Amino acid sequence: MINDFIDGPLWTFSLIVFCVGVVWKLTVILFSKRQVDLSVPRNSSFNGAVKTIFSRFVADKGTAPQIKLQIVAGYMFHLGLFALLLFAAPHINFLDEHFLGFSWSAMPHWAFIVASEIAFLGLLMLWLHRVLNHVSRLISTADDHIASILTFVVMFTGCLALLESFNELRLIHRFSVELLLIYFPFSSLMHAFTFIPSRAFTGAWFGRRGISS
Amino acid sequence: MKTQTLCIKYETMMKFITALLIILFISLPQSSFAEVDPLQQGISNKNPGSDLWRAVRQRTVQIQGVSQVKTVDSNILINPQADKWTRFRINELTNFGLILLGSVLALILVFFLLRGKVNIDGGLSGNMVFRFNDYERVLHWVLALVFLFLALTGLTLLFGRTLLIPVFGHEVFSLLASSSKEAHNLFGPIFIVSLLLMLIRFVKKNIYAKGDLTWLLKGGGMVGKSHVTGGFFNMGEKSWYWLVILVGLGISVTGLILLFPNFGQGRILMELSHILHVIGALALIAVSFGHMYLGSVGTEGTNESMKSGYVDIKWAEAHHDRWAKHCHDNDLIVSADEFAKLKGTSNSPLNSVSSSVAELNK
Repeated sequence: MINDFIDGPLWTFSLIVFCVGVVWKLTVILFSKRQVDLSVPRNSSFNGAVKTIFSRFVADKGTAPQIKLQIVAGYMFHLGLFALLLFAAPHINFLDEHFLGFSWSAMPHWAFIVASEIAFLGLLMLWLHRVLNHVSRLISTADDHIASILTFVVMFTGCLALLESFNELRLIHRFSVELLLIYFPFSSLMHAFTFIPSRAFTGAWFGRRGISS
Repeated sequence: MKTQTLCIKYETMMKFITALLIILFISLPQSSFAEVDPLQQGISNKNPGSDLWRAVRQRTVQIQGVSQVKTVDSNILINPQADKWTRFRINELTNFGLILLGSVLALILVFFLLRGKVNIDGGLSGNMVFRFNDYERVLHWVLALVFLFLALTGLTLLFGRTLLIPVFGHEVFSLLASSSKEAHNLFGPIFIVSLLLMLIRFVKKNIYAKGDLTWLLKGGGMVGKSHVTGGFFNMGEKSWYWLVILVGLGISVTGLILLFPNFGQGRILMELSHILHVIGALALIAVSFGHMYLGSVGTEGTNESMKSGYVDIKWAEAHHDRWAKHCHDNDLIVSADEFAKLKGTSNSPLNSVSSSVAELNK
């Protein structure tokens, strides 16, 4: 009964919420009203946007020494998660069978384990820093904690279900993914989609004014 | 007359033959004649191979043969050592673990009931001194959380047969054990990494120094009223650190031997590693109970060091007087007001930032 619900209606519902929510949020951001810039452009907006999209991958030299932990842990978590999401064999098979109709090379089992361990360690360090650092704790909201814990649970249940020896473990993983999909558009997790437009907007604005940043 | 004589002879001969047949019938085993059920025959007869296999199994040496499979131990027919290991694992090791952990918990409870919480003489001042930075606290909690998780999953595997199967049944335990094993293997390497980072970060401050032995002889101030001297880390903390590092490394090495059986290690090495892994882990878990007790309800003001990174100067004077003197001499003491601002528990600029963020998020 619960199996059918998780594999059927709840999965469909969570996918719809995720897709509609993300599209709606992005549309609102992209088509929101903003002041028309009447100043004479000093440089190319496009070049500024492209430059900023990539330059923001490197931390500012002035602040980097103060945030070494966040930089290292941040990269560990995001790269690990990226590898798990797109190159884990069960994910590729799932996307191939249900959505795309094509597949690509999966990483080997040992690489999956290494990637997941890097991601877990990174996420754990980031969340602990959020809780333990005075400033981070003060500027963190409940959403930040929920997003971190939910992501951890999804990764964790995914690793338990990796061997596919128990259907119950697969269902628990799928259920946690569904919760994440429903929560995603209404949370800070949206930064997965908004970080590029956000950087591009800032970069274009800087580029137009000839600001090098 | 002649015919009558012949009849008598024939009759005598027939009697003789009949008697002979009866004797022959009685002397032959019944199985030669009866229609025997083959199933009954199998049950009543002994397996001709049983004596052979019993002789093989009950030998004390491993019987080696020749096998086409070229892997470790593939030419060994039966390893009698494995039975001994299994019995030791199920009986002695499990009982030892239960007794050890139960005894330590009981000792801590008795100690708490007798001694109570160790308070600072004159109470805490509210003036603080900085002790651990963000990285050190994050590292401590990563190691602690991963250790607790590994302990939980490891104990599930160790005591599952004894404690969990009677409660949850075989099916639920099967799921639980499988998950625990996967999770234990997954988080094991994270424990190793955090252990090595802990070793690198704190090794300098944990080298034994003059005065540490005095601390030990006075029972760390927990027994009696006399004051004990200590530097940044006292003798007890240093010993805990080295226990974690050394036993932790032992657990890590034996864990890796178990986790990667594809590097050619034999069964006996794996069995030995398993036993050492469990004994080391049980020892660490047992001592960690004491660490957790002292860091939480056991002593006043200790837990603040791993929460905010600051400790009360009175706490420092009571437990680490040499380091406290250094803080006094170098004017490193933060007033209660400043500390409240740092923590965000007063009307500080940080609180304004927090309120603004909360407003924006609304």
